[in-house]
Amino acid sequence: MRKHWIWTIILLAQAAAAQEPVAPTPATVGAARGENTGDYNVTNSFETGYRFSQVGGNEGMYRSSVNYGNGIRLLSSSLSVHSRDGHGRWFDELVLTTSGLGNDPYQSAILRVQKNRLYEYDMQWRLNDYYNPGLTVASGLHLMDTARRVQDHDLTLFPDSRLQLRFGYSRNDQTGPALTTLQVYGSGGDAFPLFADVHRVMNDYRLGGDFKIFGARLSVTHFWEDYKEDTPVSLDGVTSSGLPNDPTTLTQFQRNEPYHGTSPGWLVNLFKERKIWAINGRFTYIGGTRNFLLDETAVGIDRFGGGRNREVLVGGNARRPVATGDFSFSLFPGTRLTVVNNTSVHNFHIDGDATYQELNLATLTSSIFNFQYLGIRVITNSTDAHYRVSKWLGFYGGYHYSTRRIALEEALAVPPGSDLTGNSYEQDNHLHTGLAGIRLKPWKPLSISLDGEIGRSDKPLSPVVDRNYHAIGARAEYRLKNLVLSSTYKENYNNNSVTLSTFSSRARNYTASASWTPRERFALDATYTKLHLDTVGGIAFFAGLGRPQPVLGLNSIYLSNIHAATLMIRYALTKRVDLYAGYSITRDTGDGRSAAVPAGLTNPVDQLLASVQTFPLSFQSPQARVSVRLSPKVRWNAGWQYYGYHEDFGLFAFNQNYRANTGYTSILWTF
Amino acid sequence: MRWCFLLLLAAGLLRAQAPPGPSASGYVGSQACKTCHADVWFLFYRNPHYRSIASGAEPPERTGCESCHGPAKAHVEAHGGKTTIPRAFSLMQPGQVLEACLACHAKDFPKVNIRRSEHTRSDVVCTNCHSIHKSPAPRFLLARKQQNELCYGCHAAVRAQFSMPFKHRVNEGFMECTDCHNPHGTFTPTWRMAERPRLVDQALGNEEPCVRCHSDKRGPFVFEHAPVRVDGCETCHYPHGSMNAKLLHRPVTATLCLECHNGAGTFGTRNSGIMIQSASHNLLDPKYRQCTTCHVRIHGSNSDSYFLR
Repeated sequence: MRKHWIWTIILLAQAAAAQEPVAPTPATVGAARGENTGDYNVTNSFETGYRFSQVGGNEGMYRSSVNYGNGIRLLSSSLSVHSRDGHGRWFDELVLTTSGLGNDPYQSAILRVQKNRLYEYDMQWRLNDYYNPGLTVASGLHLMDTARRVQDHDLTLFPDSRLQLRFGYSRNDQTGPALTTLQVYGSGGDAFPLFADVHRVMNDYRLGGDFKIFGARLSVTHFWEDYKEDTPVSLDGVTSSGLPNDPTTLTQFQRNEPYHGTSPGWLVNLFKERKIWAINGRFTYIGGTRNFLLDETAVGIDRFGGGRNREVLVGGNARRPVATGDFSFSLFPGTRLTVVNNTSVHNFHIDGDATYQELNLATLTSSIFNFQYLGIRVITNSTDAHYRVSKWLGFYGGYHYSTRRIALEEALAVPPGSDLTGNSYEQDNHLHTGLAGIRLKPWKPLSISLDGEIGRSDKPLSPVVDRNYHAIGARAEYRLKNLVLSSTYKENYNNNSVTLSTFSSRARNYTASASWTPRERFALDATYTKLHLDTVGGIAFFAGLGRPQPVLGLNSIYLSNIHAATLMIRYALTKRVDLYAGYSITRDTGDGRSAAVPAGLTNPVDQLLASVQTFPLSFQSPQARVSVRLSPKVRWNAGWQYYGYHEDFGLFAFNQNYRANTGYTSILWTF
Repeated sequence: MRWCFLLLLAAGLLRAQAPPGPSASGYVGSQACKTCHADVWFLFYRNPHYRSIASGAEPPERTGCESCHGPAKAHVEAHGGKTTIPRAFSLMQPGQVLEACLACHAKDFPKVNIRRSEHTRSDVVCTNCHSIHKSPAPRFLLARKQQNELCYGCHAAVRAQFSMPFKHRVNEGFMECTDCHNPHGTFTPTWRMAERPRLVDQALGNEEPCVRCHSDKRGPFVFEHAPVRVDGCETCHYPHGSMNAKLLHRPVTATLCLECHNGAGTFGTRNSGIMIQSASHNLLDPKYRQCTTCHVRIHGSNSDSYFLR
């Protein structure tokens, strides 16, 4: 009977995994108990095989959203070594898992090594080979084909003792080709595509310790973050505007822009707990600086036909000291009632100066010194209470208050060295939030929760953030041993209107899901989600067929109705053969229209606004997999996954539709 | 005198090394448990909780099975039965489960905010996500092999977001939910007026977790795009997934920008509305509809107050 339930858990877990790409195979192989070698127990498995893909349509969009290619891969591997008595010579636990190694666009390796009471070492290495055509952002002129590698190392010495020492190192680098753009020789000209060789690297070093003092646990960490960006930008050949009546041409272009800096900081955590109360605090101070220099040369013809040889030099630095404090007091007299009060302060400012110099034909034509200061201080106090009346009934409620001050100073000196002229501004914003919720468990398999939140803010920074809002959530779950049914509803309405301008946003989410495992050989998992969003925002701009005129009083409307469904079925055909089939579809039906611009609209401004009110498209992915156990330690797997992306109508005449067949065949074995 | 001292020291050492045995308080030791629960015991040496047994120096109430389940004397004498276990987790209320685990884990700093977390408020406690005896995951005793499978179990809408054409690579294994979230509760956010935290963990500099990877957006810059610092990345982006490129709220950048840059009210840092676009920008001209074609450094710039380079 116990074995039956273990099978059920494994099957459910595998069914839920179906939303993942079809490979690696989630099946297990070999003896779960592993092999004993000396005082250690070892389990390992490797899945290696060939992955293929065939793409039709817009390959750039495929690479942006999927990006699996052809080739041999170590699709996944797992190695674990445990000492059987907890007294290994060098370590007591070693766990190494990898995925995608070889040439998948998403690769990772995770390692944990620890010896009881002596040390713990955790390492995580990841790679993301990322491609983005940037079509709807900049007509493809911001294409990116970069790889990002992230690694984290953490070593803790004496992890179970009163004094722990911690050392950490993280590195994050991004390299690869990209396109960027620059509008040269004035704001009326065209933007030119430029080649950028992206080189960004961040190194983060951490050193700290945890210890007990006066019954409290204290953690102190000192860290340094070094950041370097050296991305040269250049022109690939002579480029002309291509616009009628605009002869702007770039014949030479070069930009170097080193941007380096460091952010040293201190982090102090404090924690103390007694029988009915606890306190914890976190205090940080970080002083960040960045130094930069920009040297840009652009040789060509401006839009009036004049020859230009422009050089721009900018140098300066930016600073950001940040101080924060977060303190909580928790009271829990018994397991029925918990009250937590929290106060947090976040205070930082960013100030920087830049000297801008522009030379034309080696003659200084413009020289400006800029200074800017942006200061933000937020103080928050919140009280939350959670009370369980009985086994089947519980309540919570809370009140949060936040106050924020934003200060801005802008100043410039022309020429540099003369008196600064500028302005300073300050504004305050207050937010009051009330929360309430109820938890019901009227019947052992059934649990219901209802949540509500209402917030009132007096002066948000931008029109699209919450001002007068409410959020409502409800969840019901029915859980039996082989069946789980759940459903949720969530809505978030916001109204941020002011005189002559409106912004309102209404978001409603509905979900329903079911997991059913009637027999140990069969599992089914299904979900349906609807995400509705409609917004209306007042906008103002300039437009006209001749000279652009101000256009006021119109609204930007956006309506999205996203239906997402997944269905996953796993069936053990025989003791040796597992079959799996899955299907997922995400479809935005928009507002139901069949063309970007509804018939009857003749005004070009109305046509333009109508064309971006909704963006219906579908993205679907059926997949199937077979896994055959060849021997107790070997499985053969094969799978197919289809990706179909279809926009009902392109935006700005772009159409990025594609369809792709991907698949793999692999051997999964232990040894 | 010296001999007395040595005797006392030896007695103390012997006492410290003596293995914990049955006591009057009802502790019987883990050896008694394995007699019936061999399936749990067989691979328990792989469990992080085995350390308390391996150490041999912990008191009975912090050693092995009884450190979580309580003294087993009554359970043994009754020859089994869930109701005779002082702490049988499947019979306990959510709050009781939480307190039982926090007896040891409260001191872990990533968990110090658990009592005010959204999960605790929703009666989601340790055993909802962790399987202590039969975890299929290589780390953290998770109840599912992959972390995202575990979270999707309740957060179906998030599963839908990660199935959109533009998304962070969670399903593909490059990222995990805990890269951005701390399911055990977080400190108060430093952005967006600390409103609705949603268990979003903070980067080391108390910033949004986005800048952990997107370090080029972190700054500081001489010319900051204020909403990035004040209200955070979510002002323009959906962090999980979007039907729009670059995880943007809108399919085109023009409407995304114009909905804030409309000059209305007292919005913006200058208290007079956020500046509208220049009169030279004719929105009917396609080149002015994709704002970031020219305003390339939209997250912040060192060289240009309009983010042009």
